[in-house]
Amino acid sequence: MSSTPVRRMARSPFVLVVGVVLTWFIAAFLVWPNINVLMATFFPDGSFSGRAAEKLFSSQRAMKALGNSFLLAVALSITVNVVGIFIVLVTYYFRIRGSRILFLGYASTFIYGGIVLAAGYKFIYGDKGIVTSLLVLVFPGMDPAWFSGFFAVLVVMTFATTTNHMLFVANALKGIDYQTVEAAKNLGASTWTILRRVVLPMLKPTLFAVTILSFLTGLGALSAPQVLGGRDFQTITPMILTFTNSPTSRDLAALLAVILGLATVLMLAVMTRLEKGGTYFSVSKVSSELQKQDITNPVANIAVHAAAYLLFAVYTLPVVLIVLYSFADGAAIQTGQLSLSSLTLDNYVRVLTQQSGLRPFLVSVVYSALAALIAVGGLLFVARLLQKYRNWVASLFEYLLHIPWILPSALLALGLIISYDRPNPIVGGAVLTGTTVILLIAFVTVKIPFTLRMLKASFASVNASLEEAAAIMGARTLYVFRRILLPLVLPAAAAITALNFNSLLDDYDTAIFLAHPLVQPLGLVIKANTDGAEGVDGVANTFVYTVLLMVITGITMYLVYGRAGRRGSRKRRAAVPPVAAAAAPPPAGASISGEDSKLPAAPVR
Amino acid sequence: MRKLQTLVAAAVAVTLLAGCGGGTSVPAASGEASSAPATSGDTLVVYTNSNGEGRGEWVTAKAAEAGFKIEIVGAGGADATNKLIAEKNNPIADVAFGLNNMYFSQIKAEDALEPYEPSWAGEVEEDLGDGETYWPLVKQAILLGYNSDKISEDKAPQDWTDLWTKDEFKARYERVTGLGTATAQLVFAGILSRYRDDSGDLGISDEGWKQVEQYFQNGSPAVAKTDLFARIASGEVDMGQMPSSIIAEREKSFNVNVETVIPSVGVPLAVEQIALVKGTEKKEQAQKFIDWFGSAETQGEFAKQFNSMPVNKEAGTQANPEVVDFFADLKQQDIDWDFVQENMGAWVEKIELEYMT
Amino acid sequence: MIRLDNIEVTFGDFTAIPQLDLHVRPGEFFTLLGPSGCGKTTALRTLAGFIQPAKGTVWVDGQDVTRLPSDRRKVGMVFQNYALFPSMSVWENIAFGLRVRKEKPAESDRLVRDIARRVELSDEQLPKNVAELSGGQQQRVAVARALVLKPKILLLDEPLSNLDAKLRHQLRQQLKDLQSEFGITTVYVTHDQDEALAMSDRVAVFNKGVVEQVGTPQDIYDHSATEFVCNFIGDSSALTPEFVAEVNRVSGAGLSTGANSYLRVEKASVDAPAHGGVAVGLSGRVLSRTYHGLHSRYVVRSHGADIRLLVKEDGGSHPEPGTETTVYLQPDHILQYHQDTGAALRQQDPAAALP
Repeated sequence: MSSTPVRRMARSPFVLVVGVVLTWFIAAFLVWPNINVLMATFFPDGSFSGRAAEKLFSSQRAMKALGNSFLLAVALSITVNVVGIFIVLVTYYFRIRGSRILFLGYASTFIYGGIVLAAGYKFIYGDKGIVTSLLVLVFPGMDPAWFSGFFAVLVVMTFATTTNHMLFVANALKGIDYQTVEAAKNLGASTWTILRRVVLPMLKPTLFAVTILSFLTGLGALSAPQVLGGRDFQTITPMILTFTNSPTSRDLAALLAVILGLATVLMLAVMTRLEKGGTYFSVSKVSSELQKQDITNPVANIAVHAAAYLLFAVYTLPVVLIVLYSFADGAAIQTGQLSLSSLTLDNYVRVLTQQSGLRPFLVSVVYSALAALIAVGGLLFVARLLQKYRNWVASLFEYLLHIPWILPSALLALGLIISYDRPNPIVGGAVLTGTTVILLIAFVTVKIPFTLRMLKASFASVNASLEEAAAIMGARTLYVFRRILLPLVLPAAAAITALNFNSLLDDYDTAIFLAHPLVQPLGLVIKANTDGAEGVDGVANTFVYTVLLMVITGITMYLVYGRAGRRGSRKRRAAVPPVAAAAAPPPAGASISGEDSKLPAAPVR
Repeated sequence: MRKLQTLVAAAVAVTLLAGCGGGTSVPAASGEASSAPATSGDTLVVYTNSNGEGRGEWVTAKAAEAGFKIEIVGAGGADATNKLIAEKNNPIADVAFGLNNMYFSQIKAEDALEPYEPSWAGEVEEDLGDGETYWPLVKQAILLGYNSDKISEDKAPQDWTDLWTKDEFKARYERVTGLGTATAQLVFAGILSRYRDDSGDLGISDEGWKQVEQYFQNGSPAVAKTDLFARIASGEVDMGQMPSSIIAEREKSFNVNVETVIPSVGVPLAVEQIALVKGTEKKEQAQKFIDWFGSAETQGEFAKQFNSMPVNKEAGTQANPEVVDFFADLKQQDIDWDFVQENMGAWVEKIELEYMT
Repeated sequence: MIRLDNIEVTFGDFTAIPQLDLHVRPGEFFTLLGPSGCGKTTALRTLAGFIQPAKGTVWVDGQDVTRLPSDRRKVGMVFQNYALFPSMSVWENIAFGLRVRKEKPAESDRLVRDIARRVELSDEQLPKNVAELSGGQQQRVAVARALVLKPKILLLDEPLSNLDAKLRHQLRQQLKDLQSEFGITTVYVTHDQDEALAMSDRVAVFNKGVVEQVGTPQDIYDHSATEFVCNFIGDSSALTPEFVAEVNRVSGAGLSTGANSYLRVEKASVDAPAHGGVAVGLSGRVLSRTYHGLHSRYVVRSHGADIRLLVKEDGGSHPEPGTETTVYLQPDHILQYHQDTGAALRQQDPAAALP
């Protein structure tokens, strides 16, 4: 894929049409609103104010929180890899008894996250948690509040964010040519050596990609530090959110967001450099399917089994408890005292029969589905072109499309409001504030960077000669796109759509500013029903909504992955890897960035 | 394949609609026809932060009985304020209520409120609102409450400052971890107002900021998603801030008994207000709603239902007598709200940056 | 050197190899030939130790290795797609086995460079990533990686199957040269009869998990022991009973007319035989002629059989399609197989078949 001169690119009518639409969209919804909001914050009176930087850098707390965020990001990059690789290996690489059940446990992070996940862990390991109570019985001297601070945050976030490993690394592993494993065996390498020297190095590009994701997740950590960080380990994101909501401090929020954004960009750049020359396209055209490996050493085998099931318990317990607690009354949840008799259906009755009833669910499903479809549908063309043409115009577009990644969604929403609360020629003189469209635009916008990267990766994995073959037979660009490329990337597109859909379902940050009052999505209703300040039922409602959301996201994931898996002949799967390369949004609060991934472009095939 | 084509076509169509569909300011776009209600024309949109614990549903139902079709949009005080300000050029809300004077004066300063004198203006103390755009509904005292099963009245703190100056209370009170809520801001308004010093930083003397520092250093940080009453019930802490209206109900839910402290300077009193949003297209209807909602009758019922303290003198007769007595005895802290409103943003920022550890 | 005794391999309910006995002599280039799914790769992998046979014994150099893991059988293997480690350089690939054996770095380097030189990989290529190499170079790396551990046996699993024709020819020679240079006992798996005939000392032809014939390339070509081997190796025309009867009538040979009979293309001719031998001529009509440069391919219908044959293009005149002609052949070149069992009817004397 060499670089294409801009002039030649501009000759294709297909490119021109997509280019014009794209330019308009970027200008109208990515650049203009955000310039507006940044100008308003950094140039309040028309002249630049260095106030924000001065304030921030002289604040011990802000600097410490920023430091903590970075510390968490670095630590998480390591721990998530350790746990993530382990669970991927025990589910896909080693012959472990019951690996299917293990998979279900490890995959639980696909369907829930955020504050509820953190709370779930607290129920178990917190000072009144089940495990803590047991431990205190055994070691009477121990501190019941052992599970807090940096350690606790790191543990919870580690287990919460292995989703990416289960998606990307697992797929890269499945794509490894099994003959290399046999070759290594034949050369006398032990199970451990093969893993360390042959298999893991082949996964390196994918591991790099998920490391970036873990880093970003750590940087944007929100819920886990809030719930478990305690006094000593608070991170920067809560502060950003607070400042975003205060008109006089919004410049601080923007500055902090920009700092995190720069760190993100820097991280990406470093990783891209490290990765250079590291994408291993296997030399062979045919590869043989991975076979599960026995762990021959009986001691190691028992140890690995034990660790695998221990992790299974760690992953599964919070989910079980959340489901259980969703039937308990608010006071029981809050004080951590659960008895079988206190389990009733009252919470569900209350949530589902309230005046708003199922309507917010419908609204959210429609909004999320539309946004997910538009983002994927529109970006299909864009991703294709960006993957095909490499020149400065394409790079510029690509960078611009990443803007939503850098700014917190609340700031994006504000930008849209202040830019379109009066007739604006850029959108045909319409006023967007107060319409149902504006939230849809915001939803589409926030999903652009993630969708773009994933789609590009899946286009990159399509064999170029297929397209050439069609072109030789006289097929037009659009026809080739429609009949040849689209079917190939469709599984990927479907997966990305599903992931986008899931992550938008309970959005609050954007909706609070943009939702039409009469068409309120679930996030707002959840917030209203779950705020601690709004009653004891609040927390119980949180659990009910979480369980309901788990059901919806679970169904979505099943529809996309479960069915694809069943169809999954080897051939079929070959088209899917980059799909599965689609990362689920890191569940534990990635409100700043962290919702995207560097493309793990099916590096090993 | 055919299905796919339809899908893509639909997606494209919707993209175009998203771009060009909002040609008018009618708050419904074709792309959302399925979920947009058809009758948005005569529905009043009401923003409030006071919709929790069934209040929203109750108001909606009662309003319907009185012939008003309303849609409640609930959001926290700060969120609702931001939203009203952000939307000032093309307002969606017709009426806002529940926000306290501090928030409303912010909104007023942004010129997003329409002056209106409700029919019941004479039944309330004018100085509780601004006498022009926002009008008082409910009094809310921001209190320091303690676990009375554990601490007797004579051993209890006498004022907020006792919490960090007396060793026995250190680490036994819950302190906030964020200043986003109205309650938290009012607590600080109450504390900082005592240390007003125009030569000090942000109008507060060094001594005042010292208090804030001590408050944060010695308190037990609040825990996300864990109610203060739950922590009191479990013995983690014994006291903390609370708005008066929630006490009775939480005591019952968590089975604890709480008494409140009345400092000698008095307690900060938040007054929840109602106002007409500037630029509403349903002005007349909205005014009628305000007249109805603030009336002695409606406020009386509301008070009875939710243990609130109405400012409407007549409505007070219907309120829970305990509540009325409580407020009758209550000494209100004298706070210069203009001063507070002017500085609150900067205070919050300073506290977030420098004192919240 | 290698003996497979009474091997049975099953995968679940499926029996891949019902019963297999093979003997490979020291230094021999031994090929397992057959169509895909015939069990040849299974046999190789059994030998390599990747598959445990359900029954039977694998002997290598007089030692029972049936239960030994792959790396303790002293067998080196070159995989179908070479299975080079994409994350390592050429040097690292070759040194992999040495490192696993904890060879000293200096000694490893010496051995790697030594073997690299012998497979004609230059020093400049050693630090390269394997993906940067051409197909031929990759093959050398794969061979070097296997040979550096000084195995007693080299196993090659269709190493040429993914390459284009020209490269395949080159590498075929390269492999053969390497094998002769090292003098190592080699077992080679392929589905390509050309490769098998050109490279092997002996060939075992597989069909449905069973060895149909073991012999030298010439042996299996000229004296295909079964109908399957006859069809799989070389190019032959199927003869009709009328044709065979006519041959009998003209020559007085006592060929069976109830058997399946074949004639290899090069054994038939439209010219009268120049050299001696008992040639018979049968009349026929030219159906088609395809020009191939050095020669032309003819199809002649004679007594119900379509006889394919080659005619050397030496500038002379040749019969055109549609014209009558005569097909010459020697009756003892006709290969006959039992209609039901497929076994050769006449165990021909190998010496008599020499041209």
